[in-house]
Amino acid sequence: MTTLKVEDLRVSYGGVSALAGVSFTVPDRSIVAVLGPNGAGKSTLLRTIAGLVRPVSGTIDYGGRGLVGMAPEAIARSGISLVPEGGGVIRELTVEENLRLAHLWHHDAADERKAMSEVMDLFPALASRRRNPAHSLSGGERQMLAVGRTLMSRARLLLMDEPSLGLAPRLVSLIMRTVRELCDARGLGVLLVEQNARSALSIADEALLLSSGKAVASRRASELARDEELWHAYLGY
Amino acid sequence: MNYFVVLTLTGLAAGMIYAALALSLVIIWRATRVVNFAQGALAMTTTYIALAVIQATENYWIGFFAALLAGLVLGAVAERFLVRWVETGPPLNAVILTLGLLLMLEAVVPMIWGAQIRSFPAPVSIAAMEFGDLSIALSPFNLFTIGAVLLVVLGLFFLFRGTALGLTMRASAFAPEISRLLGVRVGRLLALGWGLAALTGALAGMLVAPTLLLYPNNMDAILVYGFTAAVLGGLDSAVGAVIGGVVLGLALSYIGGYGGGDLESIGALVILIAILMLRPQGLFVSGTERRV
Repeated sequence: MTTLKVEDLRVSYGGVSALAGVSFTVPDRSIVAVLGPNGAGKSTLLRTIAGLVRPVSGTIDYGGRGLVGMAPEAIARSGISLVPEGGGVIRELTVEENLRLAHLWHHDAADERKAMSEVMDLFPALASRRRNPAHSLSGGERQMLAVGRTLMSRARLLLMDEPSLGLAPRLVSLIMRTVRELCDARGLGVLLVEQNARSALSIADEALLLSSGKAVASRRASELARDEELWHAYLGY
Repeated sequence: MNYFVVLTLTGLAAGMIYAALALSLVIIWRATRVVNFAQGALAMTTTYIALAVIQATENYWIGFFAALLAGLVLGAVAERFLVRWVETGPPLNAVILTLGLLLMLEAVVPMIWGAQIRSFPAPVSIAAMEFGDLSIALSPFNLFTIGAVLLVVLGLFFLFRGTALGLTMRASAFAPEISRLLGVRVGRLLALGWGLAALTGALAGMLVAPTLLLYPNNMDAILVYGFTAAVLGGLDSAVGAVIGGVVLGLALSYIGGYGGGDLESIGALVILIAILMLRPQGLFVSGTERRV
C-alpha cells in the first residue's frame, strides 16, 4: 500500500496565505476529488505535492517517505505524476517524444516499448499522430497525451489539474472514464482537482472541498454530490 | 584561377568558423535563453590552454582535445556556478553577467600567459595548395577547418536528434518545469548544454588562431560575426545557425574581394541591421513558433 498523507500543509506566496493547514489522505485504488472556487488553493496544493512549491510548514508523506524539500524530478521518480492544467505537453516535441521522455529515467527499453503500445491501445487517436508535433493536437488529444505520459512514467499516484478544462462534454467523460479505469485496473491513486464538480464527483471516491486555502468539507463523493447546501455555499450552483 | 571560385572557397572556410560560433550561441540561447557574450572569451581561454598543452607535450592533437575538454568543463562550470543564479531574474542580468565573464577572462588570461600576440600551430599547412602550376586559394588548413566543423555539427545533430540524452536536452530547453515533472534532471542537462556550446566554441578558437593569431581579445570581432550568423539563421534554429554562418562567410568574402577588405566588417554590420529590421525572427525560424 502506498498512501499519500498530507498533514497540516501551509503555503504562502510572498506573505499571502494560499493554503492554511490542509490535511487528507489518498490511498491506492482511489480517487480523491479536490473541489472549490477559483483561488481556493487547488492548483497550489498539487504543485506543492509535486515539489514545485515549497510549503511553509506541514508534511507530505508518500509510502513512508517525506516529500517536502525533495526536487520535482526526484518526486516524479518516486512514482508521482502531475498533469498540469491543459496537459502540459511539450509543444515542440512529437507525440512519441513526449511519451518516451516520461519513461527514459527507467532505462528499460523493453518496458518502454510495452508502455508505448499500452498507451497506443488506450488512445488510438494518438497512434495515428505519433510523429506529429504536440502543438498540432486538439485539446482532447493533449489530455490523452498527458494521461498517456503518466502511464509511460509508471507513476502510482496521479495529480491531475483540471483535466476537463476547455474540453467538449464527450471528451470530458472519456477522460474521466479512463482515469477511473486506470485507477481500478492498475490500483493507482488519483488526486483530481476540478472546477467541473459534477464530472469529478461522478468518478471520485472521496471529495475535499477547499475554500480560501482551508478544507471546509471532506466526505464520500456520493454524499457531497447530494449536499445541496454545500453546493450553493461553495460552488455557486 | 577564377577569382569568384577563390572567394567562394575562402568564404566557405571562414563561414564554417562563424557557423561553429553561431551554433554555440544558439545551443546556449535555446537551453537557457541567454545570449552568451563570453562565448568568444571562453574560446580564447581554451585556445591558450591548447597552446600550453601543445608546448608541454609537443603534440598538436593532445592540445586540440585538451581544449575541447576544457571547453566542455568551463562551459558547464560557468552555467552551474554563475549563470544559474541569474537565470530566473530579468534577462538583462544574465547579459551583464556574461559581459562580466568576458571581461574577467580577458583580464585573467594575460595574467597567466601574458598579453603579447602569439602564433598558434596548425595541424596542416596554412599555405595555398599548388597542383603543378595551378595554385588554389584553398589551404589544407581550410579543408581541415571545413571538415572539423562539419564533424562537430553532425555529431551535435546526432546527439540532439538521435539519442535519448538529446531528447532530454531538447525537452529541458523547451519546457524545463514540465521536464522536471517527468523526472528529467534539468539542472545538469542545462550545464551540459553550456558545456557542449563551449566545446564548439573551443573548436572555433583553435581554427581562428593559426591565421589570425592568438591574443586575449582575438575573438571579439569573430564573435560579432558569429552573432550575426546566429541572428541570420534565427537564434532558435541550429540548422539556421550553420547555414547563416556559411552565408555570412560567403557574403563577406565577396564584399571583401570585390569591394576591398575594409568593407568586410561594415558589411557584417549592414547584414545584421538589415536582418533585424526586415526579418527579426531570422531566415529559418517561422514567425509563429518563435517564443520570446
